[in-house]
Amino acid sequence: MLASVTALLAAACAGQTTTPSTGRPVEGGVATFAEPANTTPNYIFPFMATEYFSVITISDFQYLMYRPLYWFGDGAKPAVNDRLSLADQPTYADGNRTVTVHLRPYSWSDGTQVTADGVAFWINMMKADKAKWAVYVPGGIPDDIDSLTVDSPSQVTFHLNKSYSAQWFLYNELSQITPLPHAWDRTAAGPRDCEHNVADCSAVYDYLADQAKSLNTYATNPLWLVVDGPWKLSSFNADGNITFIPNKTYSGPNKPHLDQVKLAPFSDNAAEYNVLRSGDNSIQVGYLPQEDAPAKPDNQAVGHNPLENNYSMDRWFNFSVNYFALNYHNPTVGPIFAQQYYRQALASLVDQKAVIKAALHGYAATTNGPVPTTPENPWATDETEPNPFTYNPDRAQQLLANHGWTTPPDGVGVCQHPGSGPDQCGPGVPAGARLEFQMMYRSGAPQVQLSMQQLQSAATKVGVRIDLQGAPFDTVIGTAIPCDAGKPDCNWQMGNWGGGWTFAPDYYPTGEQIFGTGAGSNEGSFSDPKLDQLIAATQHSDSPEAMRAYTKYGSETLPAIWQPNYDYQVTEIANNLKGVTPENPYLNITPEDWYYVK
Amino acid sequence: MTGFIARRLVQSIVVVLLVTVIVFILLHLLPGGPARAQLGPRATPIAIANFNHEMGYDRPVPVQYWTWLEQLATGNLGFSVKLNQSVLSLIGERLPKTLILTVLSTLFALVVAIPLGVVQAVRRNQPSDYAITFWAFVFYATPPFFLGVVLIVVFSVYLPILPAEAPQSSSLGVILSQPAGLILPVLTLALLTVAQFSRYMRSSVIENLAEDYVRTARAKGAGEWTVLVRHVLRNSLIPIATLLGLSLPAIFSGALITEAVFNFPGMGELFWTAAQTQDYPIMLGITVLVGLATVIGSLLADLAYAALDPRVRFA
Repeated sequence: MLASVTALLAAACAGQTTTPSTGRPVEGGVATFAEPANTTPNYIFPFMATEYFSVITISDFQYLMYRPLYWFGDGAKPAVNDRLSLADQPTYADGNRTVTVHLRPYSWSDGTQVTADGVAFWINMMKADKAKWAVYVPGGIPDDIDSLTVDSPSQVTFHLNKSYSAQWFLYNELSQITPLPHAWDRTAAGPRDCEHNVADCSAVYDYLADQAKSLNTYATNPLWLVVDGPWKLSSFNADGNITFIPNKTYSGPNKPHLDQVKLAPFSDNAAEYNVLRSGDNSIQVGYLPQEDAPAKPDNQAVGHNPLENNYSMDRWFNFSVNYFALNYHNPTVGPIFAQQYYRQALASLVDQKAVIKAALHGYAATTNGPVPTTPENPWATDETEPNPFTYNPDRAQQLLANHGWTTPPDGVGVCQHPGSGPDQCGPGVPAGARLEFQMMYRSGAPQVQLSMQQLQSAATKVGVRIDLQGAPFDTVIGTAIPCDAGKPDCNWQMGNWGGGWTFAPDYYPTGEQIFGTGAGSNEGSFSDPKLDQLIAATQHSDSPEAMRAYTKYGSETLPAIWQPNYDYQVTEIANNLKGVTPENPYLNITPEDWYYVK
Repeated sequence: MTGFIARRLVQSIVVVLLVTVIVFILLHLLPGGPARAQLGPRATPIAIANFNHEMGYDRPVPVQYWTWLEQLATGNLGFSVKLNQSVLSLIGERLPKTLILTVLSTLFALVVAIPLGVVQAVRRNQPSDYAITFWAFVFYATPPFFLGVVLIVVFSVYLPILPAEAPQSSSLGVILSQPAGLILPVLTLALLTVAQFSRYMRSSVIENLAEDYVRTARAKGAGEWTVLVRHVLRNSLIPIATLLGLSLPAIFSGALITEAVFNFPGMGELFWTAAQTQDYPIMLGITVLVGLATVIGSLLADLAYAALDPRVRFA
């Protein structure tokens, strides 16, 4: 709203012309990166508990200083980045039950080497305090590691409890490891030995986690100044104003060109846009609020940049799928959701393309199934994973009518033929059950609201009534939770928090965390033994067929209802700043690649 | 007088406690739960259970309330897990911004609104009165987000002579060293307050000008200026004193919209974010602070009455 008003008023007051910028690269300078509204990094210790976990904290903050063992995002491609990883590609033996990782000669800023002990330090901490690691999934790392051997300072071998897909193990398990420096292996009382002794790790974790609670010491605490990434902190303010300076001892391939990189916090998208519009050059990498993004013509990458005097525009894709959840454990409507035909009817009422055009101004891709098709990736494309249930209200009406429901336009459908037969409403659905549902959706996001209104409108025409209830993002994710039928917290019916799932830092889109039976982030408690089997196959087999079978079955089965997968942001980059694009699909930023031109 | 203040202070404590009880109960009636809201969509049931246990949310509400009161008695307002900071340090970080914004805008409003109100009253029903009334209504009816955006577009985008955002620091010194960045946010808040105060002032002066004591002063030979400044102004300030007293809570609770428009996250934004993430310690901490400010503001308004109007006595 604010941004729209700004745009209108400014359009009335000012005209703009395009001034492209090219030139000779120069060393030095300061670049400021606008953080997403209301999101600031506030935790420095990479071994984060769930309450501190956020992609922003990892991607815009920790990774600048503390590099993960494997870097993901190769340009704009969702893939492991061999050049920026701290280790060579892992080698697999013993039927993929033994994994050997050879570290490259990276060093910490205190002069010590990044060693296999640093990897063991992380794994031992996981073993000691796995419940405190935000990304821990029962059965996953470290549970799937029987033992770990430090073969040499530069080599470590993992002995696994089963044979796993090499790609899955690299993308979803090794991806979680951030080698830690020897200097951190201590408590207030003095050095400990978590690198070699799991029993020492809890005390070390407690000490480091406690240190991480003193935000005002982040830029001065000697612990946090030991870095192996290209940047180190120069100043840190808890409000989100953060300054990095180059780590002169960085041993990676891409040394920083800038003198400083700053992160700037914003309390509101419109406030950020106002600063960009003012042209005071205080922000070099910012973003357009979704509602202010210029409409994208079908045949162009982006629309006309409203800030072209000072900035160039880039679409930043996010490797994610977007969907809303159905509560299969809701005692009233759960049995209806459990019917595949009903989910297919509901999906047929979602007009993703219209929402993308109207609400998202073209800056989104359709979600076809459980694996993203955008950005381009080896696992799914629009061809290998077509959406079988594109917008088709007639199909929705037919599916419902063919299964014993009345479908009065502008009325509420009723189950007339209960039972488990092929033309009946399905098991657990009683006679007289009504197609009447409640949807809690994230308020304050116009694209989510419009998408929900489109669904509501289309559903009305086939006898499905959806009552919409807007709520803040945190309320939606606090309500749409896996629950046990009959418990008070299991009354929710449909929940749309507007973000679906981002595959980071578990980068392989295999779905065990979101659609597997009993998974912590399977909000609706979806359960399908065949889907579980197919997910397991993707975890244990490197055959492309495993992923294809999963995507095909997932897109047909519809564990959740797919929604438009919108761009992470439309980035505005200062015309004289280069190296910002292509932007990382896992949302990592690499300001060490940025440089000014004159 | 001392007895009056003591009684009011005791009443204040009771009122604040009642407010915290109500807020505590209402917080626990909110849909969803704080665990998932704060831990995010990746939270596993184990993580949620751990969080609830560590924060004490798995205990009965009365026990939670008593624990919170015990902490409060030691000056501990709790810890925001979401923001990884103690509530006290968060308030310490945000309060200077809010204080600067609200205090400067209130002072500005007083300096402008009082003379405006007097001028309007003296020249009531004349063109200058109508003109000021017109603009007062315009600003009074303008939502702050719109006024803020208009000011930004005019002074930051179109001209541009002033920054579009307020100074980006939590340090009072740094913020005050960049006065240009404060002009637009202060003006946004002040223009609305000027409109409000000037209307009250106008009415109050008109009312006082018709009082017997004014006629008596004039009969004794006092000049118009003396009557106005020495007699009428003092009495006319009583409603403004009430307004100021009741403004005290706003000084601590912040100005959410203005803070958001000018990227100046103060107390308003802190409370808003906490409400969205069900961050109980922050919400309770600010509730206590604003509750105290409300009762103190009300007490100060009563004391100001006595200072301005000798007829008022404390029973």
